[in-house]
Parts: sequence; structure tokens; C-alpha cells
Amino acid sequence: MKENVASTVVFILLLFLNTNLLNGQSPPGKPEIFKCRSPEKETFTCWWKPGADGGLPTNYTLTYHKEGETFTHECPDYKTSGPNSCYFNKKHTSIWTIYIITVNATNQMGSSSSDPRYVDVTYIVEPDPPVNLTLELKQPEDRKPYLWIKWFPPTLVDVRSGWLTLQYEIRLKPEKAAEWETHFAGQQTQFKILSLYPGQKYLVQVHCKPDHGFWSEWSPESSIPIPNDFSMTDATVWIFVAVLSAVICLIMVWAVALKGYSMVTCILPPVPGPKIKGFDTHLLEGKSEELLSALGCQDFPPTSDCEDLLVEFLEVDDSGDQQLVPAHSKEHPGQSVKPTHSDPDSDSGRGSCDSPSLLSEKCDEPRANPSKFHTPEGLEKAEKPETNVTQPQGPQSTSVEGKIPSFHASGSQSSTWPLLQPPSLHYSRSSYHSVAEVRKLGLGTAGAASTLLDKTDTRALKPSQTIETGGEGKAAEHRESESFRSKTDQDAARLLPQDKTPLTSAKPLEYVEIHKVSKDGALALLPKQNENSSRAEKTSTPETSKEYSKVSRVMDSDILVLVQDRRAQNLAPFEEPAKEAPPSLPQNPAAVDLASFPVAPSNCRLQLGGLDYLHPTGFMHPFQ
Amino acid sequence: MDNKGSSQKAGSLLLLLLLVSNLLLCKSVASLPICPSGAVNCQVSLRDLFDRAVILSHYIHNLSSEMFNEFDKRYAQGRGFITKAINSCHTSSLSTPEDKEQAQQVHHEVLLSMILGVLRSWNDPLYHLVTEVRGMQEAPDAILSRAIEIEEQNKRLLEGMEKIVGQVHPGVKENEVYSVWSGLPSLQMADEDTRLFAFYNLLHCLRRDSHKIDSYLKLLKCRIVYDSNC
Repeated sequence: MKENVASTVVFILLLFLNTNLLNGQSPPGKPEIFKCRSPEKETFTCWWKPGADGGLPTNYTLTYHKEGETFTHECPDYKTSGPNSCYFNKKHTSIWTIYIITVNATNQMGSSSSDPRYVDVTYIVEPDPPVNLTLELKQPEDRKPYLWIKWFPPTLVDVRSGWLTLQYEIRLKPEKAAEWETHFAGQQTQFKILSLYPGQKYLVQVHCKPDHGFWSEWSPESSIPIPNDFSMTDATVWIFVAVLSAVICLIMVWAVALKGYSMVTCILPPVPGPKIKGFDTHLLEGKSEELLSALGCQDFPPTSDCEDLLVEFLEVDDSGDQQLVPAHSKEHPGQSVKPTHSDPDSDSGRGSCDSPSLLSEKCDEPRANPSKFHTPEGLEKAEKPETNVTQPQGPQSTSVEGKIPSFHASGSQSSTWPLLQPPSLHYSRSSYHSVAEVRKLGLGTAGAASTLLDKTDTRALKPSQTIETGGEGKAAEHRESESFRSKTDQDAARLLPQDKTPLTSAKPLEYVEIHKVSKDGALALLPKQNENSSRAEKTSTPETSKEYSKVSRVMDSDILVLVQDRRAQNLAPFEEPAKEAPPSLPQNPAAVDLASFPVAPSNCRLQLGGLDYLHPTGFMHPFQ
Repeated sequence: MDNKGSSQKAGSLLLLLLLVSNLLLCKSVASLPICPSGAVNCQVSLRDLFDRAVILSHYIHNLSSEMFNEFDKRYAQGRGFITKAINSCHTSSLSTPEDKEQAQQVHHEVLLSMILGVLRSWNDPLYHLVTEVRGMQEAPDAILSRAIEIEEQNKRLLEGMEKIVGQVHPGVKENEVYSVWSGLPSLQMADEDTRLFAFYNLLHCLRRDSHKIDSYLKLLKCRIVYDSNC
């Protein structure tokens, strides 16, 4: 029974509630204080947001109590700051005190309270914007024109007593621009703008901030049109530009002065002078003749083979009447040609234009190409299909006598062996030289002969051909060349000698052809003397010539041991060895000690240590 | 040799010029102490003293505010400390003006002594604050560095204020009134919540008092130096 009553009561209550709900009436929703603000740190205002009003008129009250007090107060002013606000005037405002504020919403159905809000006026200061913003264009006569902006602090803020300290910020922009240009103005209430675009209308705003508070809103816009004749040009700009350009000019002048030469060389590189390998410049010192001869290169025909004509030569000093007697010569009867004297050669013969070692006798001293003999490969070089042996003339030959294989170059002429066929790659150039030289020399020769030589040289150019390794091949090659020559005997015979003919006429040279190389490394030399002899220009004395045409071996890497070939026509055992080379070969080999060549007082210089090349003009000389 | 001599002369002349300019400029530089402590007839102007004092007080309040915000963000979120930090500052026993009118009615000598009282009251708490913040877990550098700086600047401000008092009221014997701080045990509590609230409260009171000092000093400066026409 009681249970029935209880359930009935509950049922009725629920019905009641539902009825109310159906009517749409309910207690008010919970309000919320969303903002409290003080404009000058002397008063403050709080605004709340009401909740759902529940369909019934709702009354809002704001109550608060202060820190350190227990007494609860109600809002003194609901009106001043608008609806749903509470304004605390000066009397009711205490700084450095926490206010606990609550808003109550009440309606017929009930009431609700907001959450308490803890407010300290110290930290909610946000002033009003500055007032009386004025803009003025000033154009003083002797100074730049500018825009003068002035304003006043907000009216409520007490700045004079120092209660609040304000800092200002202005911003401006042309009317059509999108971005504002902001400037911080500090505590001053005026500002000057110097950079303005003429002919535009500018908008300006200002706002402020207390020393420990929030920025105010921006003031209303003030506008000012800038006239078109607002000249912003400044003499300082031109002065700056002038100074800058002067500085730049000075720097450039200074740079040019310091580095002028290198700059010029960078822009216009000097034409490189001819580089002659092996050219010993010190030879030119103090020797005008040599210098002239060096300058004589000008006549050299401009060919790309110029370098080719730099030939490494082994100067062979055919002292006195001695001549190289070839081992056997079919074609060459073994007459050595005694070259006639040419004008004294002041050149060393190495790399100078005027060292026609092949063609003229310039030096009395023996010349050799030490580089060739200094190495075993030099020995290879010694293997030449042709060698020029100049016939020494004069007394110097006697001095040479003591040295056999002393291929002394008599007089001033240096006889050198053109290294026509350096088998090794190292001296391939000389082979070129020889070929080219021969070509040059044989300008008048039959083409076949040139071709022959070319072929010969070409074959010789094969690096694989070395004395040691391909002695036989080499010999075969030479034989081949010989056979070629035999075919074109006349031509061939004339080839070299013909080449030499004009040369020999002026500077007769004696060529010694490497006939073959035996297995033990002996060079068999064939002098091409039949041609020369046919010229009847020879003054050779083959009888007494001692020719060593066979290279026995190389000693000490700088001594070429030559052997006198028994089969040579003129045989005269030559027993005196070279200075430093003890002859130990059965055939009385004479070691060619390159270092032992005496230095004749002639102008010729003996190049012992370096690579010696003939200057191309040396060859061309006879043609002149 | 001539060059050397002339260059030396030029160097010494330059040095002399620099010295003279320094002496002239030093007067307006707030940071250079011109009057050594203890000097009686020091001629640093009152304006410079107040300018320096205001700069220091402004700086100290900025540091305190940042320190409080940092702590609040890190440790006090959701703990409702603000509800408990009511009327809990040790300096509330010092009766100080609570608004502008009251402050303007107070004589500047009284106001100066009040400022000094508050400053002295914070010597001890600041010292312990530094020590205890160092001992906090993950001692936050933002808070610790500011605490150290505030302690240092507070001492300097105190010295400056004493100088001002010496100039404004020379020869007045002053009662050194200040509040004693007894919150150290709370800072060292084992309970983290209690300890954190103690820190919160201390920082909250520091922020308030530094603002108070700053406001009073600015009022005094405008009143004394600029004759209420800042």
C-alpha cells in the first residue's frame, strides 16, 4: 500500500516535470563571466554571458567578495558598461587585491550560478585607444619634407601622475596597399614619417599599451593625401652614389695598377716563343754569333715538322783521315766522305739552329749524344740505319785519333749521327727527326727513296725493335732496307747522299749506316761512302781511316764499345781505348766514352749530360 | 721613428679624449655607479637615481610575471591553487595603499619607507626561493635563472632606494620595518602538492609586490622629479 503511494507520488512528480518541460520552462542555464577589463587601473568592468534562460524571464545578479574580506557585495553598477555587465567604479576598485566574482541567474523555475572568477585588477589593464590623431605634411625649406603624426593618450588614463606609463605604436599605409607599415613610437606622442610615395592617400592608425598590460584597440583611421610634388629626392642619395662610384673607380684603378700586367697577360696571353727541347740557353750567353745562329731559325720553313727536325745526334768525330769503315758494304765502298768545312759553327750542336752536325763540320771536338749512350736504350739509338760521320779535317783529327770510335767532329763541324731509328719509344722522336730530316734533305730525291726511307724508318719506329731483343730483326730490317736500296740503288744511293749531297757539298757529312746488329749487340755500320765518293768531293783518306762500325757492347751505361769490323775495307786495329773504357774486346773495340771527348776550343760545345738536338735550321743551312 | 712617435702621441691623445668623453657621458648612464657607497656629498642627481630605480623595478616585475606564468603553466594546472592563495602573502601585514588615490595621499617619505619595507621583506624569501627551486625535480631553468636574477636586482634596488632616501630625507633615522617570512617549511614539505602550492603562493605574492613597488616608484618619480607632470 505504501509502495503504491510512493510510486504514485513519483509518478505525479514526473508528470509535473514533464509538463513543465513540455511548456519549455526550466531554470536558467549557467552564466559565465567571460571578460573583465580595466581601462586605467582605477576601475574595471566584468561581462558575463548568460546561459539558457529556460523560457522564463531570468534575473542576473553579480556578487563578489574581496580577498581578506568575508563580506559579500553585489555589483554596484549594472548599467554603465552595457547589458550583462558590472562596472566597478573607483570606490569599489582595489588594486593588488583579488576579487572573487560570481554571477547568479534566477528565474521562476530556479537559479544557477556561474563559476567564481578570480580577478586582480593589476593584471587586466587594457586602455582605450589614443585620441585626436592628427596628420600634417611639413615641408621645411632647407630640410626634407615629412609627415608629422600627433596624438593624445586616451582620456581616462592618468599618465601625468605616473600611475600608468603608456607606449605607442603607429601604422600607416597607402590607401590601396594591403600591408600596414608599423612603427614603434615609445612613450612619445608624435612621430615623423620621411619615406612617402607622392600622389597617394595615406591611412594612419595608432594604439597604446600600459607598462604591464595589454595593447589597446587601433584608433580610427586618419587619412591624408600626399601631393604629387612631394619631392622626396635627397641630395644625400646622390652624394652617396657619387662616393660609391668614386670608391669603386679607385679600387679598379688600384687593382689595374697592381695587377695590370697579369691582367693583360690573362686577357691577351703572350705568344709563346719557340721551345726547343734541349736548347741550352746559356750557350747563347755572350755569344752573338750563337745568338745570330739561334735567330737563324727564322728561315726555317714553317712546317709542322719543325720539331721533328730536332734530331738527336751522336757526333761522330772522324778524326783526321779516319773514317768509319763499314763491315761490308755492297753499295758503299766504304769511302767516307770528308765533309768540307763549313763556316765555323758556333753552335753547340745541341738544339741550336746552326748546328748542322749532319751537314757541316762545325766542331772539332767529338760530339756525342750522350743521352743515347747513357742508357742501354741509347745503345738502341746507336743503331741507326744511317749515320753521319763528318770527316774531321784539320789537326784536330789527330787528337781524336786516340779515341776510337771517337767520332770526332773535326773543325767546327760536328758530325752527328742522326738517330733515325730509335727502336724504343723513348726516342721515337728522333726517329721522326731522322725521317723528317731525311725528307727534308732529300727534297730532290726520288720519291721512292723517300718512301724507302720512310718505310725503313717506320719499321724502325716499331718499339719492339731493340738491339737486344730484335737484333736479328733489326738486322733483317736493315738488310731489307739495304735490299730496297739495292733496288733503287741509284735512288737510294742518292737518297741519303743526295740528301746529303747538297749538304755535303757545303758541309759534307759522312753517314754511317747501321748495317746490322749482331746478337751480341754489336753494331755493324755501313758508311755510305760510295755516294760520297762519287761526288768526288770527298777528301777522305780511307786508307788510314779507322772505322769502327760495330758496337760490341755498352759498358757502364755510358760507354759504347765499338768494334772494328774486320770486314771493313779499311781496317786498322785501333788499340787505343777511350779514356775511361778499358778495351777488352778481342777486336780491339774502342769504347765510346762520351764523357771523354775532349773539349775542343772550338765553338762547339759538347753536351754531355743533356739531350742534344740539332736545330732544324742546321739542316737547312746547306740549302740556303 | 717619427711615425712611431707621432702615432704614440695620437694614441695618447685619443685615449685622453676617450677618457674625457667617458667622464662626461658617465653622468647620464644609469648603469655606471658614480657615487661610491658611503659617500656623503655625492652629486648624482635625484632624477638619475629615480630613473635607475624605475628601470630596476620594472625589470624585476617583468621577471616575476614571467616566472609566475612559467610555474603556473608547468606545475599548477588544474590544481586550483588560486583558490587557496587568498590573503596569504606575508607582506600583507605592511599596510600599503590599495589604489591611486590612497597612494597619492601618502606622503612621499612614508611611501619611500613602505617601499623599503617591502623590499627588505623579500630579501630572505628570495634567497630561499633560489635554493629551493634548485632542489626541485627537473629544476626548470626558466624559473631558476629568473629567481637568481630577481634576487640580485632586488639587492641593487634596495641600495638605490636607500640612496634616494638619503637624498630626499637626509639624516632621517629610519625604522627598518619589514615583514618576516615564515614560509620556508612549506617550501621544503615532502608532500608535493603542499610544496608546489607553497611555491605558487610565493611566486604569486612576489609578482604582486613587485608590481606594487613599481607603481609606487613611478608615482614618486613623477611627483618628485617631474612635479606630477610626466
